[in-house]
Amino acid sequence: MSETATLPATAVPAQAQRRRRVRPSALARIGLIALLAVLPLYIDVGLLTIGLFAMAAVVAAIGLTILVGAAGQLSLAHAFFLAVGAYGYAYFAGSAGVAGASSATGLGLDPLLAAVLAVLVAGFVGLLFSPIASRLRGIYLGVASLSLVFIGEFLYENVRSVTGGFNGRAAPPFSLFGWEFTDANTLVVAGVPFGRFEKLWELFLIVLVLSYLFANNVLRGRMGRAMQTMRDSEVAAAVMGVDVRRTKAGVFVLSSMYAGLGGVMVALAFGRLTPSYFSLALSIGFLAAIVVGGLGSVGGAAVGAFFVTAGPLLITRYSSSLPFISASGSGGYDGGKAAALLYGLAVVLVVLFEPGGLAGLGQRLTGRRTARVLAPAPLTGSSKPEESS
Amino acid sequence: MTATATTPVTAADVPPLVLRDVTVAFAGLTALDAVSFTVEPGTVHALIGPNGAGKSTAFNVVSGIYRCGAGSVRFGDHDLTSLRPHRIARLGVARAFQNIALSKGQTVVENLMLGRHGLTRAGFVRSGLRLPSATREGVRHGARVREIAAFVGLGDKLDRPAGLLSYGDQKRVEVARALACEPRLLLLDEPVAGMNADEKARMAGLIAQVRKELGISILLVEHDMGLVMGISDRVTVLDFGRCIAEGTPAEVQTDPEVVKAYLGTGEEP
Repeated sequence: MSETATLPATAVPAQAQRRRRVRPSALARIGLIALLAVLPLYIDVGLLTIGLFAMAAVVAAIGLTILVGAAGQLSLAHAFFLAVGAYGYAYFAGSAGVAGASSATGLGLDPLLAAVLAVLVAGFVGLLFSPIASRLRGIYLGVASLSLVFIGEFLYENVRSVTGGFNGRAAPPFSLFGWEFTDANTLVVAGVPFGRFEKLWELFLIVLVLSYLFANNVLRGRMGRAMQTMRDSEVAAAVMGVDVRRTKAGVFVLSSMYAGLGGVMVALAFGRLTPSYFSLALSIGFLAAIVVGGLGSVGGAAVGAFFVTAGPLLITRYSSSLPFISASGSGGYDGGKAAALLYGLAVVLVVLFEPGGLAGLGQRLTGRRTARVLAPAPLTGSSKPEESS
Repeated sequence: MTATATTPVTAADVPPLVLRDVTVAFAGLTALDAVSFTVEPGTVHALIGPNGAGKSTAFNVVSGIYRCGAGSVRFGDHDLTSLRPHRIARLGVARAFQNIALSKGQTVVENLMLGRHGLTRAGFVRSGLRLPSATREGVRHGARVREIAAFVGLGDKLDRPAGLLSYGDQKRVEVARALACEPRLLLLDEPVAGMNADEKARMAGLIAQVRKELGISILLVEHDMGLVMGISDRVTVLDFGRCIAEGTPAEVQTDPEVVKAYLGTGEEP
């Protein structure tokens, strides 16, 4: 049997040889990735931009679903860690002494190095918060993490050398081994010029697939089992040899790094960072995304984040041809408001009718109700007699 | 089927568990008052007493969930008194819970693999990247977990979500998960509570088998006197947090203090 370190498309734990054959769903996933890879040949820049934001959000949401869905910890600070990643990248990669109105400076590092450092810094800030994150549970951690959002809002406006203050700062374009992700050196693929957005699209797609596989592997591995048991019963996990505090700290750091990576991607997609983007509403949007997707499901988080991020943008874009939607700023329901209503409704529907979210729904439709839905709600104890202590 | 269960430990490795003058108080209520007893290596030791006698508290002290206010808990050379639960687990003290504490959405195998947590190493990075060391570890421990599942008679339910099993089977998964820690001392908290006669008989057989084939010590809390008297080597009786009797099952059954505690003074003349 194959014990190689290559990543098969179905990230199946090695001991489950029974599930090792290629499933139709794995083929579907490969097909989806292939489709996404060729999409830049066919869609315009507007849709590409929406796709880039969606992919950045998907990566960040995967981090949040590991923390909230799998480990049962609530965090409202996800927007803060996105900001750490985004500003971190802009600061590390930005050129020193930028001219113009912006007061932001930078270290002028190589963009790849800057991106890696930004993710590490996000993880480090998560580690700094872990003495709190490892001692609190669920909603209490949620409230404590709220403080980071407000600390962040203060910092964005006041640490001007890094953030550029209220007006924000530019984020330098990415480059890989000297090859720039800009419109400057356009190459032509199948008659379509590949500019900044097309190149970023392919880069983001690779990052997204790797993030997805990594998260799935973690959840199906030793730490994944530990955090899921910790979510269901901290005492049971501890008695089985799980260092609960350390595991909580580790999950929080991992989740922060995912957020940081999402932040770097946001910086690259935007090209410009402003404080208003990293608000509490962003954190709440991520929570909505992972609830709609199905808590603890990596695939669900991906779909949910796409829905929550791209939904408003798509509705706005096509508002003229959609009923009931008015143009932005005209006083009626514009795309943003309509989408907010829609995903609010989706959250309510999920909580009421399908606690497993889209992931649970998908499994129900394909008749594959296995243990892959990690949310505790769908499977409740079957026949529990009265306690007799 | 049981032949595959290679003995992980020999009786020689099993140290005694010694509780000495353990006292636990919650806001004025003394749950355990200077309780002392010793679980001799390789024996089944039962802890009985009426509701609220402090049996579960004693378990929680041994497994490190509660700290005792005074006294000490020793497991061979190790002082468990101030260790955190996962440290105690890694010394070979495993516990099956009374009110089933399985991850119901995970399969039986995944629940049992949790028992291997302290025996395995793969962290976030190694599992996330599927490094060969993590994969090999998973295969090796997966095989052992399958042996343990076969040993407790769950061999055919490995890939079912634990929450979908019958109550009796879930209780067996609890025991199997504890055994997956390769314990030297097994704490069983009311293993047959709520079971029907059939399931009780199977569980009693399993406990006897564990003792005979694995040679480990078992500390048992149980209300079912038939089971306790049938499989225990020694019995400690608690009442209102105090140890009121200790001895062989036969000695304890005839102890006047025990009879008084169980039948009460006002219930039946």
